[in-house]
Amino acid sequence: MNDKDLRTQTTSGSQKSAARVGIGGPVGSGKTALIECLIPDLVSRGIEVAVVTNDLVTKEDAKRLQNSGLISPDRVLPVEAGACPHTIIREDPSLNIAAADNLNASFPELDVIFIESGGDNLASTFSLDLVDYWMFVIDTGAGDDIPRKKGPGIIRSDLLVVNKIDIGPYVGANVDLIKQEAVEVRNHRPTLLTDCKRKIGIDALVDQLIQDVLFTDV
Amino acid sequence: MQILSSILGYAADEPFDSALHDLSHSGKVEYLTISADDTSRRRMRAMTDKGTECVIVLNRDQQLSDGAVLSISDNGAIVVRLSQQKWLSLEAQNHAAALEVGYFIGNLHWKVEFEGERLKVALQGPLQTYLDRLELLIETGKIRALTEND
Repeated sequence: MNDKDLRTQTTSGSQKSAARVGIGGPVGSGKTALIECLIPDLVSRGIEVAVVTNDLVTKEDAKRLQNSGLISPDRVLPVEAGACPHTIIREDPSLNIAAADNLNASFPELDVIFIESGGDNLASTFSLDLVDYWMFVIDTGAGDDIPRKKGPGIIRSDLLVVNKIDIGPYVGANVDLIKQEAVEVRNHRPTLLTDCKRKIGIDALVDQLIQDVLFTDV
Repeated sequence: MQILSSILGYAADEPFDSALHDLSHSGKVEYLTISADDTSRRRMRAMTDKGTECVIVLNRDQQLSDGAVLSISDNGAIVVRLSQQKWLSLEAQNHAAALEVGYFIGNLHWKVEFEGERLKVALQGPLQTYLDRLELLIETGKIRALTEND
């Protein structure tokens, strides 16, 4: 056997591809706020970030991130769904794929591109043609029965984020119960708790992303 | 930790077929078993049947498939092996029931195949989860869930 002969059989040798990470979840669950927390944590670890935002008929989330001062505005691309948000992350993700390709071409140093879905319902899921990994964000304000409803977003996401744990006690939501039932219905796949106001759980979330999909530790 | 960043070729094709055959005699071929669902992933951690920890980081124009060779040298090779897809087969009582279950499953975005008059649902989670969703259709006799013995 000749090692060189075998290695020349490679089918592709194109440029580095940034990891693509989907962020889905209901309206108001805190997806954009979570990205605003993730960016500085990732940047502090030397990880290069860009974001594709999806809104129904506006560029609201993109403008918010572009004006945040957390990220260069040209690293944020808006995509308008114009219809049900899940159609452009699952059934036909071509608009989002094109946006991510554009970011990757413009910024070849990128390590990760977040693709934030427009707010949707518990049935929302990402196509793996679009992302390498996806998280689903729910919040305690929506009630502590959400995991028991076993929506595909809850069950099938690579990572479930239970956000706004700070407001749980004020709306009668048992955060410990949410975590316990989420772990059960997800068959012990990762579930993390976050509070974006106090930056609780953000480090652990970045650690999880590095472990599962960014691989900047190896 | 082994980083696997491209598909070098396929086990059934030359020169890989011969090279893998030779390596196998000295037990130097390791297999990474992945599910059919995970073939769409370009990035994942996995462990070979011999315990080698791997990180797969493919470019987006590549896709894992059965027999994909991810690493090969005189020291050994790592080859992808697909785990067998599990299915739930369903039979509808009549045409109306077939339409109803088809509509229902379409709404749930389940992956299906057709086999004669049977509808096969690819299981991407525990069987009971699927049976729970279909409970009403099964209880009313509109559809029948088949076991492997059927």
